[in-house]
Amino acid sequence: MNAIKNMRKRLGLFLAVMGPGIVTAFADNDAGGIATYAAAGAKYGYGLLFVVLISSICLAIAQEISARTGAVTGRGLSDLIRELFGVKWTFFAMSVLLIANIGTTASEFSGIATSFEMFGVSRYIAVPIMAFLIWWLVLKADYGKIEKVFLVLCATFLSYVISGVIIDPPWGEVFAASITPTFSPNADFLIMAIGVIGTTITPWGQFYVQASIVDKGITAEDYKYTFWDVMFGAFFTWLIAFFIIVATAATLYANNIDIETVKDAALALKPMAGEYASLLFSFGLLGASMLAAFILPLSTAYAVCEALGFESGVSKTYKEAPAFFGLYTALIVIGAGLVLWPDLSLYQVMITSQVVNGTLLPPILIFMVLIANNKNIMGNYVNPAWYNVISWTFTVVLILLTLLLLASTLMPDFMENLVKYLGL
Amino acid sequence: MNALKMVGEFYFSQLIGQSIYDKAGNRFGRVKDIAVRWDGVYPRVIGVKYANKIHNLIPFEWIVLRDNDRVELVETFTVDQTVPLHENDIYASKWLLDKQIIDIKGSKMVRVNDIILSWVVQDGKQHMVLVAVDIGVRGLFRRLGLEFFFTKFKQNWLILEFIKPLESWNSHLQLNRLKQQLTELHPADIAELIEEMDYKRRANFIENLDDQQAIDTLAELNLDTQVEIIEQMDAQRASDILEEMAPDEAADILGELPAEKSEGLLQLMESDDAEDVRELMQYEQGTAGALMTNEFIAFSSHLTTEEAINQLRELSPTAETIYYLYVMDDDEHLQGVLSLRELIVAAPQTTLKELMHTKVAVVQDEDNYQKVAEVINKYSLLAVPVVDEQNVMVGIVTVDDILDILMPERGKLDTYSWFALTKTAGRGR
Repeated sequence: MNAIKNMRKRLGLFLAVMGPGIVTAFADNDAGGIATYAAAGAKYGYGLLFVVLISSICLAIAQEISARTGAVTGRGLSDLIRELFGVKWTFFAMSVLLIANIGTTASEFSGIATSFEMFGVSRYIAVPIMAFLIWWLVLKADYGKIEKVFLVLCATFLSYVISGVIIDPPWGEVFAASITPTFSPNADFLIMAIGVIGTTITPWGQFYVQASIVDKGITAEDYKYTFWDVMFGAFFTWLIAFFIIVATAATLYANNIDIETVKDAALALKPMAGEYASLLFSFGLLGASMLAAFILPLSTAYAVCEALGFESGVSKTYKEAPAFFGLYTALIVIGAGLVLWPDLSLYQVMITSQVVNGTLLPPILIFMVLIANNKNIMGNYVNPAWYNVISWTFTVVLILLTLLLLASTLMPDFMENLVKYLGL
Repeated sequence: MNALKMVGEFYFSQLIGQSIYDKAGNRFGRVKDIAVRWDGVYPRVIGVKYANKIHNLIPFEWIVLRDNDRVELVETFTVDQTVPLHENDIYASKWLLDKQIIDIKGSKMVRVNDIILSWVVQDGKQHMVLVAVDIGVRGLFRRLGLEFFFTKFKQNWLILEFIKPLESWNSHLQLNRLKQQLTELHPADIAELIEEMDYKRRANFIENLDDQQAIDTLAELNLDTQVEIIEQMDAQRASDILEEMAPDEAADILGELPAEKSEGLLQLMESDDAEDVRELMQYEQGTAGALMTNEFIAFSSHLTTEEAINQLRELSPTAETIYYLYVMDDDEHLQGVLSLRELIVAAPQTTLKELMHTKVAVVQDEDNYQKVAEVINKYSLLAVPVVDEQNVMVGIVTVDDILDILMPERGKLDTYSWFALTKTAGRGR
């Protein structure tokens, strides 16, 4: 009896530490993520599998840095940025986070709108109702139980894995594509590549994983468990992304179908679910979007208030914490409002927000790596040198990609000539 | 001591980043930081850090501040004039600026947006001292150079005596001062502050509390935090504190710890305290047995009220509640109950047997907490007695114990609940 109790406790302690990494992985495959991976597969076939692999490895590293910093310091990322870099940099970082998260919130509401439209409900009805529901559930009710329902819905995305296996693509070619660097300097490709990186590694994911590590009270000693939690999460993100691309490449790219709306991404589930493909897809999309819509505005409001020293907490009254409730409400209202803009392509909102996330990621990464290198803060857990090489390389590459995207969007002719000149 | 004469206040943010000029008007550095020393009533500025990576300071006596915030030296600048940072000195920005501190007055954590300095004249000498911190919106935007947008906001300053920085100052004088400050806070307020702190600051903070304060504070915390704190505390101190806590709470905490650790702590505790706790640890979570405390007041039915009151005087300090007095026979079977009021107003020679109510609402030790709550609610009780199968009274569950279970406080953690995100998720509750 006692032995069983002890076993359960030990397993329990392990499970208690597990979570933040895996949850962030789930959140990475939100509406924008599905849309971006599906678009990448439909447009470039297996061409972006390499980018997915690299960005998943970078995700593992970025999440590991955040998680380690959280466990060692017991403090959130925005808190550390404020203490180490002062007010001006904090404002900058928080503005970056806010812009990225408004975009991501809009993309979640696009996901909600899309899944309702697949059931024939207009977005002008669905989005306001769901926005209010989310706002109300988080502030006034116990949403912990409800969110489990959506988490189960999310699991339907595992069906991409099954679908991908059923399709049975030429695996040799797929794996070759996964490890062969592919690059093309035109704007479309760059958008897709930055979008894929931006949806895999998000600014908010970094803040979120660190905050939840701190809130769980994970200490430097527990960190060995958290390390595996984070690694597993990154692997999971890669797995889903990989199979979405494989499934869409084999069904859409192979038949020259370009994705125009997110619904088209459901076609890739046909091999597994047949006529139920779009039903399965819309449930999954709803679950993923709702989950992220619950957590995103709230964690943003917490991060910003923590950094600027405003009072925060759902149990406070509006009078006690006006900035907190104001920010939270504004994020939902703006995010949902953007989606209701007439004639706006929901699909474009999803992709664009991921590209915005990708371009805004470097500043956050720079803060993270600087903090993880600070010996006063991290003590013995300071970043190893080879880690810094990878982190800085990745950051610089991402900045270069962003600049290239900017250049190729503003001056496409110049870029083409440059490419010709370089003989690429 | 001569009275302090205030000669005008200004902000740290006005000073920081200003160029420093020597007597000849040549610019040779910037105000990077200021070092303060706290040997009097107020921490006074003793020097200016004038360049990155140079830790020698320009003594503050050499500096004059002109009207337009221009910083000048009275002499020509030479490196030999600079002084090293003394071990009792601290940089203002490292100590306070942008840091979270405790606002003793409002008993909450706040962030320092700016520091308010003031000239004072003491013993005919002019000093610059640190008098308050700015924790308001105006301070925040002043740092950004945008204060003019926020002039209709009120200034929100916290004067020095209400500040408790989390960064500890290493001189004894200041440590004593901090301990003194903390005695002014209610344990419930301290508990709330501790919940907001990270695990490192927590340990540091608890060390500054005396044992009684630590016990009172711990009692106000939620179980997860209690467990975390006890786990990190030095074993000897942890066992001392557990001894003094209500046995039901001590049992809850120990029940959450790994078996070896809790056994170790129980060994260190005094044997009868440990015995009480062990008894409670037998029960499964959520049952009346696990919720109850085994410290309650019970008398033999033969006692007179006078005798009972005398005994009560001796017993009351350790029992959780004394409003209900239970009457037991020699084999500890529950016979009846009477209230404190009934005991006091009765004639001195009345026996408890005559006075007590024999219809007592009880719960079984294996009953779940919903049942306990039902009984407490139905009979409007402050505490309900718990009996085992043989009707032997084993403890009481008080109304606040049941409230804690029914109304869990919603913490920040719930924000991040998702699925396995709560600390207790894995603990089989």
